[in-house]
Amino acid sequence: MIDVNLNALLRQYRSNPYEELHIETPHTGIITFNVKVGDLVKGPSGAWKERPGTTLFTLEREGNVKKITAERDGEVSFVRDEVDGEFCEAREHVVTIRHRLSKDEIINFILRKVLYVFEAPETARYYLVPELEAVRDQKKEITLSPGDDFLIMSLMKRDTFLKYEGPKGTVFRLYFKPGDIVEQGEPLVGIASPEDLDIVDKIIQRIQSEWED
Amino acid sequence: MAKQKILIANRGEIAIRIMEACEELGIETVVVYTKEDEASEHVQRVLREPSKSKRAYCISSYKDPNEIFSVCDEAGCTAIHPGYGFFSENFRFARRAALRSRPVTFIGPRWEVIRDLGSKINTKRVAKSLNIPVIPGSSTPIYNEMEAEALAEELFFIQKEQGIKHPSILVKASAGGGGMGIEEVRELDAFRQTYRRIQNYARRQFGDEGVLIEQCLTDYHHLEVQILASRHDEYVHFGTRNCTIQSTGRQKRIEVAPGFDPKMVNYPFKATKVLNDIVEHSLKLARHVKYDSVGTWEWIVTRQGHPYLLEVNTRIQVENGISARISRVRGLGQPNLIKEQIRCALGDELGYSQEDISFEGTSIELRIVAEDTKRGFAPWCGTITELRFPQYEWATVHTHVPTDRPYKIPTEYDPNLALAIIWGPTSQDAIDRAKEFIDNTVINGYGPRGESIITNLPYLRERLNACLRFE
Repeated sequence: MIDVNLNALLRQYRSNPYEELHIETPHTGIITFNVKVGDLVKGPSGAWKERPGTTLFTLEREGNVKKITAERDGEVSFVRDEVDGEFCEAREHVVTIRHRLSKDEIINFILRKVLYVFEAPETARYYLVPELEAVRDQKKEITLSPGDDFLIMSLMKRDTFLKYEGPKGTVFRLYFKPGDIVEQGEPLVGIASPEDLDIVDKIIQRIQSEWED
Repeated sequence: MAKQKILIANRGEIAIRIMEACEELGIETVVVYTKEDEASEHVQRVLREPSKSKRAYCISSYKDPNEIFSVCDEAGCTAIHPGYGFFSENFRFARRAALRSRPVTFIGPRWEVIRDLGSKINTKRVAKSLNIPVIPGSSTPIYNEMEAEALAEELFFIQKEQGIKHPSILVKASAGGGGMGIEEVRELDAFRQTYRRIQNYARRQFGDEGVLIEQCLTDYHHLEVQILASRHDEYVHFGTRNCTIQSTGRQKRIEVAPGFDPKMVNYPFKATKVLNDIVEHSLKLARHVKYDSVGTWEWIVTRQGHPYLLEVNTRIQVENGISARISRVRGLGQPNLIKEQIRCALGDELGYSQEDISFEGTSIELRIVAEDTKRGFAPWCGTITELRFPQYEWATVHTHVPTDRPYKIPTEYDPNLALAIIWGPTSQDAIDRAKEFIDNTVINGYGPRGESIITNLPYLRERLNACLRFE
């Protein structure tokens, strides 16, 4: 049964409802910035997030120009101006965005504390097993019982099937993008047991009504 | 030779060996690395050395060709050495290097040669046309489950007709290599499940779900022939290797040169003749395709002494060091095959012929890996706190693991720790020395939950007894 002090959690987020997003170069290339400190940027918009966010910078590599856009709204708080027009290596921190947490993000953060969270046992790439991926594609609910094969952990070029070892329940949140590297201990899947579903819904409703975006 | 600068498009110990070969040739080098690999000696060694220009670049992935070419241009490199794995057998990458607006030399065979031999299927087809024996099985990648099942059924039937008591077949990812994406099927009923698993694996790892199916030979030795050819129609070989001792995932763990030793083991066939035959067949194919680099011809030799060509690796091999260790070139001494590969790619003539090459003693390579050999060779992740190897004039160690500070093994790559190359005047001496080397090696470390490191040293020591023998 879920036991959580929701008031304390909400107070904590109200006191500092921001997150610093550090943007790195995804690959090498010559960088050209499109934003400066203080600019407000927007994340993707549209019903299907089909309109990309504000362009933060471009990277030109092998004659191809790639736009790097904001993934979330916020205010630019840092730009590494000295590398403008220069060749950058991969994974260099070049922009910081101060992002105000939205209602959905607050819900997500709080749910991580109330759901049964299955964490990454190793730093590795993770995939849902094909059977569950198909269920997810059909936008149906994924239910798990102890002993079910549910994830593929791709580590050192080997695939290992992971068995679910938690309470029987419904997958409420997936915290990873299939194929991305997830650090050891980071959440992979959030599961709610049938008896906890009502409480989870109540928490969501309360945040929906009390939190102002 | 015009002034050259080589980009090393690889990681780990091979990046260091290429760097050292280039230093001996007086060629500048540049390395690339991913964030996960920042602590590797192939990066730290370069960062420690004073240099007028930047020599180490962080990239997003070793597998992204745009990253490699982007750094190549930025650093002003004239050539790319792909090492092994990654782009070493990718003819599209080699072709792009040669045909782009700023061409760079690919340190390897011409791209047309990689295209013809880099694929197991093409190799099989060309070999068959030259009457070189190959293993029965599919000669094109299979994408259709029904077709795959029909061929599997046929291969089981053929083996039963041959009186084989326990027939089995191998299902392989056609784009795979290095022992990855291969499974054995012992019953036709289990075929479909395995086929789907390999197909999924191939799609995820290589972006191509083509699968190969062939008869599984169970009682055999895995041999190799080391070839070197220049761009001036010169072809030599540096003898044979025996790579039979492999993990359950068919990854090599101990290699021995030469491939058989009739002085130590009584083989049920004429071992010297078999070795000569596979060398001749390999050279025949090399000449036919006008091979022009180092390359390894992989063979299966059954207990009855029948050889079958498995594939050609159109690149420098992990285990090239043991072939070099037993070879002597008149006027040159012990060769360095990485140096020879670079010289050939840059257009040099070999400067010697087969008559100038002689062989001496036996060399063994131990692949020291952090893995649990008792749990299906499961890779071990964690931090190395101490790595110490004994010093002998008959042993050489190649490693990217730092010995002066803790090192966290990146989980993105295989947990290979080191290669030890041992030499002895006879095979038994080499085996005894390899055991002595293992006994005096110290590796300590801890895992994510504080548990002690697991390595394959005990496995290697035990398996040395099986070297060169049919068990």
